[in-house]
Amino acid sequence: MPRPEHTSLPIATGRRRFFLGAFILFLFLLLFLPRESQEWLGQVGGPMAIILEGPLHGVAAIQASVREIWNHYFALQQVWEENQRLKQEIQQLQGEQNRLREQAILAREFQILSMYQKTAPLSSIPARIIGRNLSNWYKAMVINKGTRDGIHAEMGVITNAGVVGRVVRVNPTTSIVLLLSDPNVAIPGMIQTSRDEGIIQGTPQGNIHMKYLPPLSPVHVGDVVVTSGLTDDFPRGLHIGHIQQVTKAATDLFQSGEITPVVDFSKLEGVLVITSFQPTVSAESPPPAETLPVP
Amino acid sequence: MIIVWQIVLCLGTVVAQATLSTLLSVNNIYPDLCLIFACLVGFFTNEYKGLLIGLTVGLFQDLLAPGGIGLNMILKGLAGSLAGVTTHTVSTVTTGAVVIVTLVLSLGCGLASLIVAYPSLDGSDAFHAITWILVPQALYNVLLAAGIFWLTHKVRHSFGVVHFARGRR
Repeated sequence: MPRPEHTSLPIATGRRRFFLGAFILFLFLLLFLPRESQEWLGQVGGPMAIILEGPLHGVAAIQASVREIWNHYFALQQVWEENQRLKQEIQQLQGEQNRLREQAILAREFQILSMYQKTAPLSSIPARIIGRNLSNWYKAMVINKGTRDGIHAEMGVITNAGVVGRVVRVNPTTSIVLLLSDPNVAIPGMIQTSRDEGIIQGTPQGNIHMKYLPPLSPVHVGDVVVTSGLTDDFPRGLHIGHIQQVTKAATDLFQSGEITPVVDFSKLEGVLVITSFQPTVSAESPPPAETLPVP
Repeated sequence: MIIVWQIVLCLGTVVAQATLSTLLSVNNIYPDLCLIFACLVGFFTNEYKGLLIGLTVGLFQDLLAPGGIGLNMILKGLAGSLAGVTTHTVSTVTTGAVVIVTLVLSLGCGLASLIVAYPSLDGSDAFHAITWILVPQALYNVLLAAGIFWLTHKVRHSFGVVHFARGRR
């Protein structure tokens, strides 16, 4: 009669328990051995460590991968939100920086105008440009000063660089300035070196022409053109521009020149409206010329 | 209340013309937003409202323009009114009709403005003003007006709005 298998189990189990208990006792006793005697254990443990290294690396790699996945795809949600918040903050700060930069540029421009206003031999009112180009038919701009500030029609408008135009309409708080490049503006000017006078007027193309220059006037490209001071709106000697081209047809009585203005009308932010000035040309009669002997 | 809103819209259009025109300029040609506004009001409503809005927006434009008061008021009023008349003469105002009417009105208003602004132009300058300012401006106005009309038309149909700001006939 064959012995059933399960009958050997208690014996095997009893042996295993015995060896397991003996092994644990052995290990326990090893702890009480002197440290010098434990060195052989290290020699035994070395190869064991090498065997264990592979699985340890594997587990560590898996752990690192899991951590990386967690950090990048799950835990980053908070970082993403923070990133969005920081981006919004950056945009807000950039907007504020632009606003401050704009204010600084404006302040610098008005500071230059203010310095010019103090040193120039004329009384003027600083004004800011608040609108421009209300139609294609007029080269004009709107300034933020009007009759309440003492502005009147026909007053000259300048910057520290030169002539801008003339006030043509005044409202209580705003004024309309017609630019020098408009055909409806004409001011007397002269060539600074030769002192030849002419009329400066805009064209529909937006250019500025100097008309009625004397036919024998030695006008050259690059000559500086200034105001001649013959009208009440501009004093003598304000810079207008440079001669860019001189033309005279065979049938023309006068020369004419095209002028490059010193003021860039499209980039103006602030202007000065001339309220009064001291005429530089003496009103007294010139000294009498030497009398020639009568033949 | 509606009148207040209409005045605010007219003021807004003139302010936009004075401040945004530099941004909208193409080769130094600016669209006449006031004319476009008056025409569109005429197209969407009727000739009376077109006339009133045109007169108002033209008056505001005149207050900030160098020319004499009255020119823009009359021109924009006429343009708004004539645009409104279009809604009577055709059964349905299409984008094509807007293009033709706006082109004619823009050319007419531009020509009148040209004559008033530069009364003493010689031939070459007048030719230049017509070819380089008048016609491009009219085309630009047409483009904007037709675009806005087409978009509004699409929006109306998308939302199922059949009668959009249509006044009494």
